Amino acid sequence: MVAEGINVLILSDREVGAERVAIPSLLAVAAVHHHLVREGTRLRCGLVIESGEPRETHHMATLIGYGAAAINPYLMLESLTDLRQAGMLGELSQAEAEDNVVKAIGKGLLKVLSKMGISTVQSYCGAQIFEAVGLEPELVARHFTGTASRIGGVGLDVLAREALERHARGYPRPDSDLLPVGGLYQWRRDGERRMWDPETIALLQHSVRPNGNGDGDVSQQTYDRFAHLVDEENARAGMLRGLLRLREDVRPVPLDEVQPATEIVKRFSTGGMSLGALSPEAHETLAVAMNRLGGRSNTGEGGEDEARYGDERRSAIKQVASGRFGVTINYLANADQLQIKIAQGAKPGEGGQLPGHKVDRYIARLRHSTPGVGLISPPPHHDIYSIEDLKQLIYDLRCGNPRARVSVKLVAEVGVGTVAAGVAKANADHVTIAGHDGGTGASPQSSIQSAGVPWEIGLAETQQTLLANDLRSRIIVEVDGQMRTGRDVVVAALLGADEFGFSTAPLIATGCIMMRVCHLNTCPVGIASQDPELRRRFAGTPEHVVNYLMLVAEHTRRLMAGLGVRTMEELIGRADLLEAEAAIEHWKAGGVDLTNVLTMPEVEPGAPRRRTEPPPRVLDDALDWDLIAAARPALERGEKVGLQREVHNVHRAVGGILSHEIARRHGSAGLPEGTIEVEFHGSAGQSFGAWLASGVTFTLRGEANDYTGKGLSGGVLTVLPPDGHPYLAEENVIVGNTVLYGATGGRAFFRGLAGERFAVRNSDAWAVVEGCGDHGCEYMTGGRVIVLGRTGRNFAAGMSGGIAYVLDEDEGFEGRCNLELVGFDEISADDERELRGLIAEHAQRTGSPVAERILSRWSEYLPRFVKVMPHDYKRALAELAQEAAGIAGEGEPALRE
Amino acid sequence: MGEIGGFLRIHRVGFDKRDPRERVRDYKQYFHTQSEEELARQGGRCMDCGVPFCHEGCPLGNPIPDWNDLVYRGDWRRAVEVAHSTNNFPEFTGLICPAPCESACVLDINDDPVTIEQIELGIAERGWANGWIVPEPPATRTGRSVAVVGSGPAGMAVADELNRMGHSVTVFERDEGVGGLMRFGVPDAKLEKWIIDRRARLLEDEGVTFLCDVDVGRDVSAAELRERFDAVVLAIGSRVHRELEVPGRDLEGVHFAMDYLYQRNRAVAREEGRPWRAAEREITAAGKHVVVVGGGDTGMDCISNSLREGAADVKMLDVYPELPSSGRPENTPWPLPPKRTLTTYALDEGGERTWNSEVTALEGDGDGRVARAHGRRVEGTSSRDLRAVPGSEFALPAQLVLIAIGFSHPDHDGPVRDLGLDLDARGNVRAPVYATSRPGVFACGDARVGQSLVVTAIAEGRKCARPGRRPLERLARLLARGRAAVLRALAQGLGDDVNDDPVDDQPQAPEGDDQTDGDGEGARGEHRREA
Repeated sequence: MVAEGINVLILSDREVGAERVAIPSLLAVAAVHHHLVREGTRLRCGLVIESGEPRETHHMATLIGYGAAAINPYLMLESLTDLRQAGMLGELSQAEAEDNVVKAIGKGLLKVLSKMGISTVQSYCGAQIFEAVGLEPELVARHFTGTASRIGGVGLDVLAREALERHARGYPRPDSDLLPVGGLYQWRRDGERRMWDPETIALLQHSVRPNGNGDGDVSQQTYDRFAHLVDEENARAGMLRGLLRLREDVRPVPLDEVQPATEIVKRFSTGGMSLGALSPEAHETLAVAMNRLGGRSNTGEGGEDEARYGDERRSAIKQVASGRFGVTINYLANADQLQIKIAQGAKPGEGGQLPGHKVDRYIARLRHSTPGVGLISPPPHHDIYSIEDLKQLIYDLRCGNPRARVSVKLVAEVGVGTVAAGVAKANADHVTIAGHDGGTGASPQSSIQSAGVPWEIGLAETQQTLLANDLRSRIIVEVDGQMRTGRDVVVAALLGADEFGFSTAPLIATGCIMMRVCHLNTCPVGIASQDPELRRRFAGTPEHVVNYLMLVAEHTRRLMAGLGVRTMEELIGRADLLEAEAAIEHWKAGGVDLTNVLTMPEVEPGAPRRRTEPPPRVLDDALDWDLIAAARPALERGEKVGLQREVHNVHRAVGGILSHEIARRHGSAGLPEGTIEVEFHGSAGQSFGAWLASGVTFTLRGEANDYTGKGLSGGVLTVLPPDGHPYLAEENVIVGNTVLYGATGGRAFFRGLAGERFAVRNSDAWAVVEGCGDHGCEYMTGGRVIVLGRTGRNFAAGMSGGIAYVLDEDEGFEGRCNLELVGFDEISADDERELRGLIAEHAQRTGSPVAERILSRWSEYLPRFVKVMPHDYKRALAELAQEAAGIAGEGEPALRE
Repeated sequence: MGEIGGFLRIHRVGFDKRDPRERVRDYKQYFHTQSEEELARQGGRCMDCGVPFCHEGCPLGNPIPDWNDLVYRGDWRRAVEVAHSTNNFPEFTGLICPAPCESACVLDINDDPVTIEQIELGIAERGWANGWIVPEPPATRTGRSVAVVGSGPAGMAVADELNRMGHSVTVFERDEGVGGLMRFGVPDAKLEKWIIDRRARLLEDEGVTFLCDVDVGRDVSAAELRERFDAVVLAIGSRVHRELEVPGRDLEGVHFAMDYLYQRNRAVAREEGRPWRAAEREITAAGKHVVVVGGGDTGMDCISNSLREGAADVKMLDVYPELPSSGRPENTPWPLPPKRTLTTYALDEGGERTWNSEVTALEGDGDGRVARAHGRRVEGTSSRDLRAVPGSEFALPAQLVLIAIGFSHPDHDGPVRDLGLDLDARGNVRAPVYATSRPGVFACGDARVGQSLVVTAIAEGRKCARPGRRPLERLARLLARGRAAVLRALAQGLGDDVNDDPVDDQPQAPEGDDQTDGDGEGARGEHRREA
């Protein structure tokens, strides 16, 4: 038809009927798309799909991704009529309901596009940025040509059978109009099989609690029943590891010769679930348990209360995610491991989102944000756009804490091995490969259901790539994603994991019952809620977690004994002890081919299959060692120290290690302002003044690179041109891109222009700059930014807190500002004092003629300042003020809805 | 999904019981039903859990969160439909279920559970009152016939299900009315009998034939049924009493509780003009000192009936220790039904319960009539570790002694022997996937699993009617036979259970939950959840 000049093809399943079964819409679209591509006529026509099937974001995303230019999801829209008639849509009209659902799908698609780094639907259409898990190679080659598919799987015959089965539910018309229970989003007895069901949850909880029978074996027996269900039924039906078998033709060793459980648990950690997502009680329970075991808990992306440092409530792993919430120098200094979260297995590409009703005053304080204001972590780290950037952040974090291991958390997806090799070359100590099976109720449903791949695939690829490139020995590989039993641990170790992360299961041990309302703040067991009433209901204890992980470790030992292996060191990487399960009964499992998972590259005999040595030392040539030596009187006795140093662009993260030394000794309070004053001359390398602590003042005469003032933590940073510069400083760039990213305190003054993303995710630093590039103050949640010149486009995008004052001399600022979340406000008398004070300090520290001019003609300039005020921030401040005035003194706290 | 955070604002409101002094003078339902508004408010407490443990805790797998939400939003009609999607008789379970769903409710962890049973009853009653529950006979008949022996909840459920599939079902009942122990054991105070009649009439209008006063094994042989029908389902309950083995058991005035309850229920039937049978030997509590042995629901019903007859006093001897009345014992953690002592409607009305007491002998008055019960205190928590306390002997006046210590297994005479069926280790009919050792003969309910709950019996009846073979498996077979077979099946209706033949179906693997334990001694478990 296309050859005959038809230029729009509409694929439709409207004619489905008693004797006509619908072809799955995605198969139809992809098959036609690839056929036309092969014919060379694809560009001559548009492809439209009209189908009753698509109804979720993922359906739309895949249809577009495989070439559909337009979708008519008619049954989805007609279902709204039914819902309306059933009274489930309240007062909504049909048109409003349709608008809402189309808008929701659109937003979902935008999120999918954005996390893949694609800006327009035209670019996404036909881009097929997917990995198939469980499709046979012939099918993929013919209809999904070019899609990664690594484990084989079902072919057209199985798809046909499924289509017929679906058809059978509707023809002939069943007696009842009730739809099948589904169970995809909530467990139902006859519905979809899920990772957790009432039986597994209850058994796990019972196995870790005293049972009243005075019989220690009961816990063991209960755990054994749990593990049996998980390993033999649940995993067999829904997980790749269920298709693997531990070899039995090996000589076992006596159990008592196997490494004790207390050693094994040291390789366990809990996942990055933030305080904010979790209640303080739940978060601390995990930390205490892991510290008692000698394992590690993870702060997640939300900072940590400093009151917990120094006791057993401290989390050993401090996460550094794209939002940089609460990432202060003191936070870094109090870590055993710093984890750069690139992505999460359950929702690859997405950042965390904490809805405003969970941000109470405590959470806001820890995150340096505003109570009641929702917090959204951006999909990317703004300081990582390449593997070199990642290497820089690893370096910066090493400076922030030279004693801590630096880890990078990746997700299992095709290509993860290459990224992991890059991480190893970037000198990280540790890499985490996260699989898709996990995900608490804090992950979007569409991501839990449709994003990510099993860790088995990603871990095997990582191990293979690291071995092939002789990098395996210098990096610790951790795996996480629905680890539940000793068998999971053993399979992971055999595929190459040194360490193991657990998230959902330890929460279940403390009482989580998989409500899936983590985002609603109504968790009835007080785990994922900040509501004081619900927090009181939290009944979990560290013993629950300790008991559970010890049971897992004991289970691990028993399996190790069966494999004839005495220590974890001997176990790691022995993929030869795994084989594909021959006796898979499930009708859809037949085509699965695990060769790619089980085949390890040939390496020299005796080559390490696990981490055996630390990564190369990178801090030895840092400028900071000299600064620290010279500043010893200040560090030790608080004496004032003034220094002068040359700086060159090979000096990166200058001030980071010095700040670490201050935080280590003096906590977040640091030293009194001005205790250590360093005047630099020259051109500073990246991340100049990173994590700069209170008490340190850096003044640089020259220029600085990208990431200046990253994570500024209370210090004062000034950059001004060298004396006698022949150009107009206010017209020239003096600091690079992404300056003050994630700053949590301190002040910064830049005599000149900054690059793009100035003060991105700033949460409490106050800064003055004389102009900036695009996306200034993006995602800012607190602090003050004064721009004494022209800004770039998209200023204040995603800004939810803090205030920016922009001198709008050409009256064009409104067009350059993103007004989605912010408005322009009157400048009050208090504001004026604040503004004038900062400009005066800028003038004093930099001698800026721009500042001098403004100050000298203040009444003339003041009206030209625009005050950029986030709507949420304004509301929250008003509520706080009201509360302070005692109006909200009784009843509900003002910041609760 | 109910009201977000509703459980934090709305408290559980249980049902109102009538004044015990008033209700002990009649045989009417002992509590008031709740208003529509209150039920809707209570439905709003449901949290629509990601993993609804209530749904798992219910032997029927009732879609409880779904109907809670419908009730909260006032869509009673759809709620009636949803309730019937998993439960043939929601009005029975709404009245006489110990509600394992409620003890499994996530709110029971640290709050009061949703009033699921009240809501279920409310749904069922609105369905009847509004004429939404009407006969829906099957559109087509398969031409196959099934005999169901026994018309208790399991027999009624299996009959209902098989009839819906288009089979012709005849239910044989040896007593004069349909319902089994629901009619003859459970007092009207808990389940007024017109409620059973109403449902039985509906089943008849849909085509089920009930033959009462026909005792299979005596009036007609089971072998004959096997001849005349394509399949026979035994739903004969677990009716062999556990015996009280003490001296004096033979004295006049010592009876099994169920014999007494049968008579009391027949007395009410007689008063209300329903069919009844006269007793050979009348058992009455009027004016007597009554001793009830056994502390379960049957014993409780003996107390309530004795009080209604005007007994001088009623003493209940329970061999087990008193348990806490609230909270969760460590050995029955959530979501298991907690072992705890609840006050019951009967004890509100009078009577007295003694814990840790067992009967050692019954003493006559010289004329062969019982006069005193001798007993002693015991220590221990389970039947395995009970020990007598030396020197704790006591005696009670006793003119009527009612033995309510449970049932051990189904009657091995009658159809079980006639058909030569295999038994399991506990004496129940062996029928791993509802098929007995005799082809074409099936068993379900207490006869198969031992004494259990009404809700379990209904679930048994449902599963017996459609064991195993799912449309998916059928489809796989069709596909193996090729394209023509698939197209033919499509034209006929694929996966339609009407064409699935339960009679010839011999599924292979036993289902996991099919061998549930019987309840504890004397606990018939028909007692409505209170408080």
